[in-house]
Amino acid sequence: MHVLVIEDDREHADFIEKVLCEAGHSVETADDGAGGLSRAREDQFDALVVDRMLPKKPGLQLVEEFRNGGGTTPALFLSALSDVDNRVEGLQVGADDYLAKPFAPEELVARVEALGRRQTSGEPPVTVLRVGDLEMDLLGRKVTRGETKIDLQPREFKLLEYLMRHAGQTVTRTMLLEKVWNYHFDPQTNVIDVHISRLRAKIDKEFEQQLLQTVRGAGYCLQA
Amino acid sequence: MKSGPFAFVRTTTFRLALVYSILFALFSAGLLAYLFQATVGAMRAESKTRLEAEFRTLAVAWNTGGPTRLEQSLLERVLVDLRDFTYQFEDANGRTIVGDMPNMPVQPLEEFGTPRVVMFEIERPGPEGGANITPIEARIVKLGDGSVLLVGIKMDERIRQVNRITRVVATAAPIGFLLALIGGFFSARYAAHRAESLTKTAEGVMSGDLSLRAPVGASGDEFDRLAENLNAMLEKLETLMATTRHAGDSIAHDLRSPLSRLRNQLEARLRGPIDEVSARETLAETVEEVDRVLATFNAILRLSRVHAGAEGTLVDLNLTELCEELAELFEPACEDAGIAFTAEISSDLSLVGDRTLLAQAVSNLLDNAVKYTPSGERILFVARRMEAAVEISVQDTGPGIPTADLERVKERFVRLDEARTHPGSGLGLAMADAVAELHAGAFTLTRGNHDTGLKATLSLPAKR
Repeated sequence: MHVLVIEDDREHADFIEKVLCEAGHSVETADDGAGGLSRAREDQFDALVVDRMLPKKPGLQLVEEFRNGGGTTPALFLSALSDVDNRVEGLQVGADDYLAKPFAPEELVARVEALGRRQTSGEPPVTVLRVGDLEMDLLGRKVTRGETKIDLQPREFKLLEYLMRHAGQTVTRTMLLEKVWNYHFDPQTNVIDVHISRLRAKIDKEFEQQLLQTVRGAGYCLQA
Repeated sequence: MKSGPFAFVRTTTFRLALVYSILFALFSAGLLAYLFQATVGAMRAESKTRLEAEFRTLAVAWNTGGPTRLEQSLLERVLVDLRDFTYQFEDANGRTIVGDMPNMPVQPLEEFGTPRVVMFEIERPGPEGGANITPIEARIVKLGDGSVLLVGIKMDERIRQVNRITRVVATAAPIGFLLALIGGFFSARYAAHRAESLTKTAEGVMSGDLSLRAPVGASGDEFDRLAENLNAMLEKLETLMATTRHAGDSIAHDLRSPLSRLRNQLEARLRGPIDEVSARETLAETVEEVDRVLATFNAILRLSRVHAGAEGTLVDLNLTELCEELAELFEPACEDAGIAFTAEISSDLSLVGDRTLLAQAVSNLLDNAVKYTPSGERILFVARRMEAAVEISVQDTGPGIPTADLERVKERFVRLDEARTHPGSGLGLAMADAVAELHAGAFTLTRGNHDTGLKATLSLPAKR
C-alpha cells in the first residue's frame, strides 16, 4: 500500500513510517496541513494517516476540504484527543477511522490495512464472502464450510463477517470491539478472546486447516 | 476599592439611591404645588361664585323695586351681617345711602351686564390701635339713575387660609426632602454594605481561601439569593478543587510506582551483562509497563472529563438492548471461567443517557465480577424498573468486600487486591460512580443477599 502520513511531530512521523514500512508498505510524509492536502490531491494514495493537530491547517479541516474536493482516499485520524465526541467529529468530516495516541504499532498497521481493503472492495456489492472453503452468504445469512453447514448466533455472524471482509489482515481486539460491538472502551477481561474461541470451535474444530489464527501480541487473522 | 467611613459614597448603589431620593423629593414638591394650586384655586372660584350670586339677588331687587327696594334689601343684609359680604350704595351725588365705607374706593367700572371684579383694600382702625387691612373683591355697578352699588366680599379669611396652606407646604417640602435624603442615604448604605460583603467574600476566595462563604440574611431578598447562589457555586468549586487536587496526588502516586519500578528494572539490567536475548526481553517488558502507565493515564483523563461533565452526550437510550448486548458480551467469559451467569433484563427499559459511558460503567462492574468471582460461583446481572429509577445490578457469590471497605473502594486507585494479581487501573468503580453522577443517579456497593458476595448497583433516573 502507498500511504501518506501527515504528522508534524518529526519523531512520531518517523515511528509511523518505520512501522508501516516494516509491514511492507511504502510511506510518504508531509509535516503540515496545507502541504499534506496538496500531496493527497496530487497523487493516488491508498490511505491517509492524518494527525488532528497540524500547523497551517488542522486535520479536521484538511479531511473536510479533501472530501469536499472529491477525494475518496480512505483517511485515518490520529489524535491525542481520544474521547467519543472527538471521534464522532472526526468521522463526521469524512474520515474512515480514528485511532487515539498512543497506540500499539500492530494496531496502526491493522487499521491502515483495513482502510486499503475497504476501498478496493467498494465497487461491486459483495453478496458472498469466501476464505478457503469457508463461505458466507450475506443475503441468505448462511455459513458453510465445505459441505458442512455452520450455525452461528447473530453476533458470531457479525464477527465472522468482519473477519472475512478483512481476510488475510491482522484484526486487533480493539477493532473488533469497535466494529462488531460498537464499544469504544477496553474491557479488561478477555471477553473478545472468548468469543473468538467460540467462533473458532464452530468454524475450525472439525477441520484439518485452521483458518482463524491468533497473531501474538496483536490480534487475529482469518486466512486460508 | 478605597475604604473609609464614606467609601460607599462612590458606589453605584449609593448614587442610585441618591438619584432616587432626589427624584422622590421633586415629585413630592410637585404634588404639594399641585395641592396648593388646587385648594387656593377652588377657594377663589367659590368666592367668585358667591359674589356673583349675591350681586344677582341685589340686581333682582333693583329691577323689581328700584332704589327703595334695593335700599331695603341692603339694610336687611347689613343688619343680619351676612357673613363676609360688604356693601356700599351711593346716590348719583356720591352720598352714601347704605354702607359703612367712607366713600367709593374705586370708580364704578361696569354697566349692567358686563361683570368685572375689582380688588382693593380698605383700612380700618384695628382693635389694638394698629390698622386692620381687609382685602376686598368687589363688583361696582352704576345703576340706571346714576347711583352706584358696590357688592364686595371680604378676602381676609380666605387669605388666612391660603397663608396657612402655604406655611404647611413650605414646612412640609423641606422636611420631606430631608427625610427622602436620609432614607436614601441609609438604604444606599445598606445596599452598598450588602454588596460589599459579597465583594469581600469574592476577594477572600480570590486570594485563596476557598472555604469563605458570603453571609446570608434571613429576609430572602435578592441579595440573600445572590449570596446563596454564590455560596452554592463556591461549594461546587471547592469540591472540584479538592477532587482535582486529590486526583493529581493520586496520579502522581499511581504513576510514580510503575515508573520507578520500570526505572529500577532498567537500572538492574544495565548493571548486569547485556546480551541480545535478555535485552530484547527487557525491552518487551518495558514496553508493556509503559503501555500500562499510558492506559492508566488515559483512564484518569477520561474519568476527570466525565467528572467535569466534559464527556458524554445524553440521548434517549434503549437500556434493555444495551444490557442484553453486554450480557451477551460477558456471558462466554463467565462460562469459560466456570462461573454461572444469569441475566434478568426487563423489557422496555429506557432512559436518557450516554451509551458509551453507561456501557463502560456496566462493563466495569461485570469485569470486576468475572475477575473476582471464583470458579463454581454465580453472577447475577439484573436490569429492572424500580419506580422512578432504572436499576442495573451485578451481584456475585464470591468473597465480596468487607463492609468497612465498601465506600472506600469507590475512590480512585483504591484496590483491595494489594498484590495486584489481576490487571486493572483501580479506576473501574470510580468510573461507575462518576457515570452514575453524570446521569443524576447513584452507585452503591452492598453485601450480596444472605451476606455473601458483592452487589454493585447503578440506580439511574428512568425516562419520564
